[in-house]
Amino acid sequence: MKPMLSTDLNVAATTVEKVKIEVKNLNFYYGQSKALKDINLSLPERSVTAFIGPSGCGKSTLLRVMNRIYELYPKQSAEGQVLLDGKNILDRSQDLNLLRTKIGMVFQKPTPFPMSIYENIAFGVRLYEKLSKAEMDSRVEQALKRAALWNEVKDKLNASGLSLSGGQQQRLCIARTVAVKPEVILLDEPASALDPLSTAKIEELIDELQADYTIVIVTHNMQQAARVSRQTAFMYLGELVEFDRTEKIFTSPREKRTQDYITGRFG
Amino acid sequence: MSTAASLHQSRKRKNAVMMALCVIAAGIGLAWLALILGALLYKGLTGVSLSVFTEMTPPPGDAGGLLNAIYGSIVMTIIGVVVGTPIGVLAGTYMAEYGRFSRLTTVVRFINDILLSAPSIIVGLFVYELMVRPMGHFSAIAGAVSLSILVIPVVVRTTEDMLNLVPNALREAGTAIGAPRWVVIRSVAYRAALSGIVTGILLAIARISGETAPLLFTALNNQFWSSNLNAPMASLPVTIFQFALSPYEEWQQLAWTGALIITLTVLGLSIIARSLTGRREDR
Amino acid sequence: MSAVSEAVTSSAMRTREATVRRFALTDTIFRAATRASAILVLVILGGVAISLIAGSWEALSKFGLSFLTTEAWNPVTENFGALAPIYGTVVTSAIAIIIAVPIGIGIAIFLTELCPRPLRRPIGIAVELLAGIPSIIYGIWGLFVFAPFLQTTVQPFIINLFHGIPGLSSLFAGPPYGIGLLTSSLILAIMVLPFITSITKDVFDTVPAVLKESAYGIGCTTWEVTRRVTIPYTRIGIMGGVMLGLGRALGETMAVTFVIGNAHRISASLFAPGTTISATIANEFTEADGDLYTSSLVSLGLILFIITFLILAIARYMLMRIDSRTGA
Repeated sequence: MKPMLSTDLNVAATTVEKVKIEVKNLNFYYGQSKALKDINLSLPERSVTAFIGPSGCGKSTLLRVMNRIYELYPKQSAEGQVLLDGKNILDRSQDLNLLRTKIGMVFQKPTPFPMSIYENIAFGVRLYEKLSKAEMDSRVEQALKRAALWNEVKDKLNASGLSLSGGQQQRLCIARTVAVKPEVILLDEPASALDPLSTAKIEELIDELQADYTIVIVTHNMQQAARVSRQTAFMYLGELVEFDRTEKIFTSPREKRTQDYITGRFG
Repeated sequence: MSTAASLHQSRKRKNAVMMALCVIAAGIGLAWLALILGALLYKGLTGVSLSVFTEMTPPPGDAGGLLNAIYGSIVMTIIGVVVGTPIGVLAGTYMAEYGRFSRLTTVVRFINDILLSAPSIIVGLFVYELMVRPMGHFSAIAGAVSLSILVIPVVVRTTEDMLNLVPNALREAGTAIGAPRWVVIRSVAYRAALSGIVTGILLAIARISGETAPLLFTALNNQFWSSNLNAPMASLPVTIFQFALSPYEEWQQLAWTGALIITLTVLGLSIIARSLTGRREDR
Repeated sequence: MSAVSEAVTSSAMRTREATVRRFALTDTIFRAATRASAILVLVILGGVAISLIAGSWEALSKFGLSFLTTEAWNPVTENFGALAPIYGTVVTSAIAIIIAVPIGIGIAIFLTELCPRPLRRPIGIAVELLAGIPSIIYGIWGLFVFAPFLQTTVQPFIINLFHGIPGLSSLFAGPPYGIGLLTSSLILAIMVLPFITSITKDVFDTVPAVLKESAYGIGCTTWEVTRRVTIPYTRIGIMGGVMLGLGRALGETMAVTFVIGNAHRISASLFAPGTTISATIANEFTEADGDLYTSSLVSLGLILFIITFLILAIARYMLMRIDSRTGA
C-alpha cells in the first residue's frame, strides 16, 4: 500500500529547480482522527502544483497546513516538517502573521472584505508597509492589473467589493493576495463556485502568475489540474499516492488507484 | 362509508373551532396593543405643550413641565450606554471570536441569558448595596451604573449572535493575508456585523429608557434641576411613577404625557433597530 | 515585473518583524480585554448574589426560616415575614401564565398557519413591539384605565354571579376595589403574552416543513397537524418560552406596583389588594427606616433572585436543548 516516494521526490531534482516548499513526514490530526498520513513531497519554485483526489482525501487539509490557517480552530494539529526555503514553518517560534504574508491564500468561495474595492487591496498592504497615497494607488493598480481586473473596476474603486460579480470577486481576492507580495500562493478550489467563463479567466491568470510565484492549487476538477499545473499530487484517504509531472500522472500513472481516479472509476 | 363521512365532518368542525379560537387569540392580542396605545395617545396628547419640555417638574397642584426628568433620563441613559456598550461588545467578541470553543463561553452565555431576563429591581438592589450604601447617598451615577448593567447582557447577546453570523471564510481570508486576529475582528468581522451590533445597542437603549425599578433607589428622584452626577437626579420613569400615584391632577396629566414620550421613544428606537436588521436580511 | 523586484528586501523584512511584534502585543491586550469583559458578566451575577446575601444577613439571622412562613409585616414592631409577598408573587404569576399561555400559543398558531402572508410580518412585529413597551406604561394604563373598568363593570358582575356559590363566592368576594391580585394578574398576562408568542412562533418555525407536509399529505387538518406534529415536536421549546414568561412575571415590578394595592395580607379573594415581592421592595425601600427593615426588604430581593434564577435557568436549559436539536 505504501506509495513509492523515492521517485516522487525527484520531480524537483530532475528539473534542476530550487525547492520552495518541502514537506517531510507530515501527519495531521482533527482531534483523534488522522487526516494526513506521513506526507512527503517537494514543490519547486515558480511553478504550479495541483493537489487532486476525491473529497475528504486531505488535499485541502494539506494546503491549510502550509500557511497554518488551521490554527484558527481548536483540536487540529500537525506534526512533521514543512520547510519554506529550508526553514520549518511548523516550528513554534514561527510567527504566523509573518508566515501568511509570505504564503497567501485564495479560497473556494470569493471572500471580499466588507469594504471598497480599493480598501480590499490596500487593507493587507497597509498592515506591514507605510506607503504614501501615490505609492498605495500604484500598488493597488498594479495588483488589480496583475489579477486582470483593472479595466473592469478602475472607474469604481470606491464601490463595495461585494458589488462585483462572483468571478470578479475572486479575481479581487487574487489581487488582494498578490498586493502583499507573497512568495507562495495557495489556491483552494478557486474556481469551483464560478461559471465557465470566469473559470477560464482564473486559469489564465494562474498561468501568468507562475512566472513570479510558487503556486499550489487544490482542485476536484481533473481537467483543470491538467490544464494549469506542471506537477500533480494525487491524494487518497489522507495519503499521498502519487506525485509526478502532470502529463505523467494523466497519461501513464504508476499507481492503479491514480489511474482509477483519473479515468473516473471512483471519486 | 357514512361513519367515515361523519368522522370527517366532525374533524373538520373541530378544526374550524380551534382555528377560530386562534384567530380570536390574535385579535385579543392586537386589541390590547391598540387599547393601550389608544389610551396613551388620548390621555398623553392632551397634556403635550411646549412647557412640558421647557419647565421643571412642579410642586403639587401647580402647572409645570418635565424638563429636569427628561434631562436626567437622557444623561443617565447615555452614561449607561457608554459604560455598558464597550463591555458588552468586548464580551460578545470574546465569545464569538477568541473564546468561541472555550468552556468559559458556554458558562458566560448561560449566565448572560439569565441576566438578560433577571428582574431589574434586583439590579437596583445590587447597585444600592454596591454604591449607594458605601457612598452614603443616592446619585445619578449609581442610577447610570444600574442601567449599564441592564445594557450589558443585551449587547453581549446581539454581538455574539451577529459575529457568529459572519462567515468563517471571511475570517480565514483576513487571517490568510497576514492580519493579526484583532485586526481581522476590527476591520472584517465588526464591519460585517455592524448593523446587527448597532441594532443590539438600540434595543438596549430602548430597554433602559423605560426602566423604572433600578432607578428607584439608586438615582432616586429630584424635584429640581440638577446636573450633578453625584447627587440624586430625576428621571422620566421615576417621575411618572411618583406623579401617577399622587392625588394631584396636574401631576397625573404630566405622568401620562411622560408615558407617551417614553413609549414613542421606545417604539421609535425598536422600529429603527428592526429596519436596520431587516435591510441586512434583504441583502 | 519579476519576482526579484517584488521580493521583500531584508531591511523591509526587519521592519516587518517589528510590526509583527507590535501586532502580537496588541493582540494579547485586545484578547485580554475581551476575556476580562466576558468574565465581568460572571462577576456581575456573582456580585448580585453576594450583595443580596450580605444585605439580607441581618434579617435572615434574626428571623431564620420563619421569615418564609410569617405573614406579619410590621415596621413598627420590626416583625417581618415574607409569606404575603411570596404568596402574591406566586399567585399573580401563576394566573398570568394560565391566561397568557393558551392565548400566546393561539397567536403563534395563527401567525404560522393561518395568517395571510402579507400580514404575517406586520403582526409579528406588532406583537414584538408589545414586548418592548416599558412596564411602567402597563402600570399607568392599568391604574387609570383598566382598574376603574374592572371596578365598575366586570367585578360587580362576577361578584353577583358567584354570590352564594361555595368556594367561588369567597374567591371572588367584594368589595370591588378595581386594584388587587386579579387585576395584577391580568396586567401581567398582557405583559408576558408577547414573550410567549414570539418564542412559540420561533420554535414553531424550527419544525421541518417535510414533517408537516407529510402529515397534511395523509389528510390531517391544520389543527391535527398542529396538535399532533408541531406542538409535540416543539414541546420543550414552548416550555422554555413559558418558563421565560414566568420568570418575567415573577420579577415584574412597575406594572404590578401600580395595581396590586400593596397590602401585606393573604386574602382568599382575588379581588382583594395584596402585594408581591417586587412591589413591596419598590414601594417601601426608600422609606424603610432601620437596618432590620431594609435588610428584610433585601431578603425579599434575595428570595426573588433565587426563584427567578432557577426558573430562568430551567427556561434557558430547555431552549438550549431545542437549539442544539435544530443545530444538529
